[in-house]
Amino acid sequence: MDADPLAADVNAGTPIGVAIVDDHPVVIDGVRAWLAGEPRLRVLATGDDPDRVLRAAPYAEVVLLDLRLHGRMVLDKLAELSAAGRRVVVYSEHSDPQTMLAALDAGAVAFLAKHEGREHCVATVLAAASDRPYVPPALAGAMVGDARPDRPSLSDKEREALLLWFQSMSKASVARRMQISEHTVKQYVDRARIKYTRAGRPAATKAALLARAIEDGLVRPEDIGIYRSQASADRPTP
Amino acid sequence: MASESGTAVTAGPALRPLPRPREATRSAAATAPPEAHAVADASDGGARIAAIVIAAAWHLAVALPAVLRAGPGMAVPAVVAAGWLVTTLVGVGAALRLLRGGLPAAGPLAAALLVIDAAVVAGAGERFLFSTANWVWGGLAWFFLLVLWRRPVRWLLVMLAAHGTIALAAVVLYGATGPADLSRAAMYLYGTSTLPVAVFVGAAALTAQARDRAATAAATLAVAAEQAAAERARTERQARLALVSGTAEEVLAELAAGDADPADPAVRRRAVLAAARLRRLIAESDDVPDALLHELRAAADLAERNGLPIDLVSVGTPPELPVEIRRGLADPLTAALAAAEGWARLTVVAGPDEVVVSLVTPDHDGSDEPTTGGHGPVEHLHERDGEIRWTQTRWRRT
Repeated sequence: MDADPLAADVNAGTPIGVAIVDDHPVVIDGVRAWLAGEPRLRVLATGDDPDRVLRAAPYAEVVLLDLRLHGRMVLDKLAELSAAGRRVVVYSEHSDPQTMLAALDAGAVAFLAKHEGREHCVATVLAAASDRPYVPPALAGAMVGDARPDRPSLSDKEREALLLWFQSMSKASVARRMQISEHTVKQYVDRARIKYTRAGRPAATKAALLARAIEDGLVRPEDIGIYRSQASADRPTP
Repeated sequence: MASESGTAVTAGPALRPLPRPREATRSAAATAPPEAHAVADASDGGARIAAIVIAAAWHLAVALPAVLRAGPGMAVPAVVAAGWLVTTLVGVGAALRLLRGGLPAAGPLAAALLVIDAAVVAGAGERFLFSTANWVWGGLAWFFLLVLWRRPVRWLLVMLAAHGTIALAAVVLYGATGPADLSRAAMYLYGTSTLPVAVFVGAAALTAQARDRAATAAATLAVAAEQAAAERARTERQARLALVSGTAEEVLAELAAGDADPADPAVRRRAVLAAARLRRLIAESDDVPDALLHELRAAADLAERNGLPIDLVSVGTPPELPVEIRRGLADPLTAALAAAEGWARLTVVAGPDEVVVSLVTPDHDGSDEPTTGGHGPVEHLHERDGEIRWTQTRWRRT
């Protein structure tokens, strides 16, 4: 739907390796089926234990993690993986705003509500693989409704773009409504997401998101208060 | 949207805060509801009357005869008499306020009483220093009590300290510094101060206790009301769950038995409807049903019974809104919902100062004029862009 066309170029040639961690085999099969339709992605390992799955697929570029494993919220595991530089896309049926924001704070690259469907899932994984933000509508809702005292301060345009994206699930419609281009809508939404890299505990994944956002010209280093020169990573500019 | 508790209405047992048992239980006296204040006012009515009677008795039965008896023998009788008269006025004014349930203006009246205190001590003169003609010794403390009613007890102590200082200054200035005089002065001061303080503190304690009890009762009621509302919400939800699982089970059973074909669009539509309804049900987690969400949910249920799969996603808790604002927010949506075809997405984003409700459905032919406007503080926008029909209402606190 709104997949970033740039996302594929970076990894052109070799498909992106994905690991799926979920304790429901039927969900794993479903997600695997979703991703199978996308030639740029390849599922390397699946299972219900993050450590075992990642031992089986140490080079997986993106981990799809169900936030609730065996009845327990694994935010701590998420933080551990993110701190170690794993790009974790959390997907969960717990799509309440607090849980989503807590996952972002812990270092998740993106949060996907399980009912958000194939397009968003594929787009999210592709974006994650290139350290680019992707904000599905449910996450946009959580961000626009964020009422925590230490929430990042969003501009009026960013807030409006998030709100309308949450409402309509169509960036084309948001663009028409705001009388700007779709590209600009995406920029507002992504910029809002990048502001969230400051929240919560530090994680390598956040630094990578930030660095890529600066490379892409999405934000300037001075826009991000705590920017610490992670942008100098020797990654080719797309 | 931009502030305060983001208690989500969408699902999520993990991080949900516990329901708040309303403020009153935390610190009953500090945040007591208005009912508790009313109870407190009523409960110290007796103490007010007692204090007024004592002050009046001292003033009329003890002070007045003594002043009249001493008469011209005093240093400046006119000052003593004038002091008595002004004190009477102050007392009557304070008493009227107290009897009507109000509180006198403590500051100015207290200052006036201290001026009278000094003037009368001076006006009575050395000869009458320790006599009842110097009536401020004994009687004035009761007037302090009246003007400082329900104020912090330290104010009364400050007043009594000032009173004592004036008396001691007079004792020293008149040279009455013999051991007998000093002990007499100390006894006078002690005797005339302790009783008012005791009454004052006693009344304050009674009031605080009554207020506490009333606050506890109010808090208990509030908790009970919340429980009842939560219970009602739960029952409603269970009833709907029974209905939803019925339809979902039916589809699943038919699929399992091979009676229904997953390729059949009608079967798929039934599955989509059942799934949408289940999802909405899961998303409901508010303990106390919010009126706006309740209306929107009812409209969504109705539309869905007519075969429209509908998602209702809500972020944040709407503040309490007057009925007309709630109508302004919900009515355009329910109207648009009636004309919806295909599917619908209903969203609510709420914060203490802003509530935005939106309905998006696929665009279709048929008369439908874009509108903008709304009434009062609610903005209403309806448009179609060939892809979707978009209705949005927005309230902002002004």
